Amino acid sequence: MLTGHAADTLQAIRQRGTLTWGADAEGGAPYVFIDPQEPTRMVGFEFDLADALAAKLGVKARLVQNSWDGLVPALQRGNFDIILNGLEITDEHRQQIALSRPYYAYAQQIVTRKETTGLTKLTELKGKAVGVLAASVAQRLLEKMGGADLRVYPGNVESFRDLNNRRLDAVLLDLPIAIYYLTKEPGLVASGAPFELGYYGIGVRKTDGKLLEALNNAIEALLADGTLQRIYSKYQLWDERQAKLASYHEEPLVSQTPVSALRDWRKYLPLLLRGALVTVEISSLAMILAVAAGLMLALARLYGVAPLRWLAATYIEAIRGTPLLIQLFMIYYGLPNVGIRLDAFTAAVLGLGLNYAAYEAENYRAGLEAVPHGQMEAALALGMTRAQAVRRIIIPQAIRIIIPPVTNDFIALFKDSSLVSVITMVELTKVYGMLATTTYDYIGLGLMTAALYFALSYPASLLADRLERKLRYGLHHPR
Amino acid sequence: MASTILVENLTKSFGANRVLHGISLEQDRGEVLILIGPSGCGKSTFLRCLNQMEPMDSGRVTVAGISFEAKAGPLSALERQQQRKLRTLAGMVFQSFNLFPHLTVLRNITEAPIVVRGLHAVQAEEKARALLAKVGLADRANYYPAQLSGGQQQRVAIARALAMEPEVMLFDEPTSALDPELRDEVLNVMRGLAREGMTMIVVTHEMGFAREVGDRVIFFDQGLIIEEGSPEEIFTQPKKERTREFLRKVLAKTT
Repeated sequence: MLTGHAADTLQAIRQRGTLTWGADAEGGAPYVFIDPQEPTRMVGFEFDLADALAAKLGVKARLVQNSWDGLVPALQRGNFDIILNGLEITDEHRQQIALSRPYYAYAQQIVTRKETTGLTKLTELKGKAVGVLAASVAQRLLEKMGGADLRVYPGNVESFRDLNNRRLDAVLLDLPIAIYYLTKEPGLVASGAPFELGYYGIGVRKTDGKLLEALNNAIEALLADGTLQRIYSKYQLWDERQAKLASYHEEPLVSQTPVSALRDWRKYLPLLLRGALVTVEISSLAMILAVAAGLMLALARLYGVAPLRWLAATYIEAIRGTPLLIQLFMIYYGLPNVGIRLDAFTAAVLGLGLNYAAYEAENYRAGLEAVPHGQMEAALALGMTRAQAVRRIIIPQAIRIIIPPVTNDFIALFKDSSLVSVITMVELTKVYGMLATTTYDYIGLGLMTAALYFALSYPASLLADRLERKLRYGLHHPR
Repeated sequence: MASTILVENLTKSFGANRVLHGISLEQDRGEVLILIGPSGCGKSTFLRCLNQMEPMDSGRVTVAGISFEAKAGPLSALERQQQRKLRTLAGMVFQSFNLFPHLTVLRNITEAPIVVRGLHAVQAEEKARALLAKVGLADRANYYPAQLSGGQQQRVAIARALAMEPEVMLFDEPTSALDPELRDEVLNVMRGLAREGMTMIVVTHEMGFAREVGDRVIFFDQGLIIEEGSPEEIFTQPKKERTREFLRKVLAKTT
């Protein structure tokens, strides 16, 4: 729902009787999440807080789902009135939007497996595999410190899973999340004391001064009348740090010129290129796997004995009929349950390669079937075995037929490789996302990223074109 | 004289449709056999059963000493090997040429000798060039099939089959897909082969060629051999009414 930017948002909220608030309920406990006991209902301390705030404004609260690292741009384009979702009061955020007085004081917490020792301080995380939530304070802290093997996750559940699976040595995250998940993870513990105090504030557009004032007043009132303490205690989140909420003073913001990635391309291009290299590595290896496995599948489906034929057909239909994203999740997070623990790179290549193998198999089958029946007959009549005939007569002719669809698939795979960021691979699109969410230069970085994708995929098209022309066997070029 | 081909009681059905009703036949070395008959009479199927392109329902085929018996179910490795041996002994020329479009004329001819017989590439090429000269296409070795006329393609196909040094050549309507003016160049090559003493079975509608080159003419109809004899006997004084009727129709068409 779009609300007017320049108009008085507070008045608009009162008129329509609802306060829309943006948050990400995916893996969002204890902030806002689906009640595990009653999946049709939302709960969470921010969910309760939104209701309490709305009541103070005399309206109802309505949640608008939005991915967490896209909340700020979504607010700016008017998708909702406020952000209420563990948004840290940082100078970076304050450059983009206005933030209310804090409603919660949080800290960073290291979480490890029970048996792990010696990982109690930030500096002790150097050289360790550490999981963090994308675009979180924890990520920025570790990046600033350097030296840790940083793994970036789209949600919290996944990083805890990998900690249990021993892919990680530790997870660094906001204390409230740690408190909530540690009650559900008997094998994990909070390691060392919380550190790096910070505050969550409500995000509003910079033009909404009146709304900001009303929210500040509402927070103050909720703090004074004990509502905040009641809500936080319900989720075991009230601690001694919250005493600081009343005495909070905002530091003056040193205004910075907005980042322009195009102007500072020397700074950003190397980062994007590093991501592009990962993209090229993953897609090339995945394509090699897809071509090889696809050919096996197609041959099995066309020339195999009955059970083999049936197996190949089932594989192709099952893979084509289910989303790649789910297959990646199952390979990376599901297989450890049966004792197969692949690193993210291998899982990414396998996931993409085995998925595209199904599409390649169908391309090849179509290509092989398009070769006239008489070709096989002529080869057999000359005494060739079926295998010799397929390899020397049928496949070479099928190749020319399948070049266009296979090229198409390779380019599609190249772009689909961005999906592997869900299993912690930092490839081109992920680098773009990470840079964009900190600089907010979605357009400049987007143009650079798109140009990189194009620069990498266009030569593949040209090459395929040339190959296709070369394989015309004199059909259009009499000597 | 030992027979090059011996067919005993060959039957073949496609589903409920019986195409060959127990055909038996013997062919001497160097004999040119012409199969004629209305379309759908089973003469092409008979030829395809000879080199095992179609599995037989029952009966036995012997080509140059290699025997093959009808069998239900999949073949053993040994039987498949036997089948391939038989195919190399019986060279096949198809109505639609079936040249390999991705290979040059030369490689069309050398491919099977190299792959199947393990011939050295140099020898295979030498032999291929000799065969191309024989079919009058020495200057077309590096062309692709698509760059040749139909008649030239069929001559390459004959050279390709000859490269395997077969004991017998099977021609399945070799000129039917060609324009009339291109037929002679193919028929001339076949005449030459017959003169050299090649054992041949030719399914054809070219009655002039049949009369001129054939040692024996066999008239097929409805899956049976109706009549056989010398070209003179069949074309001038056929004994059976069906043969007479067929020849009347065919000769009326060509004149």
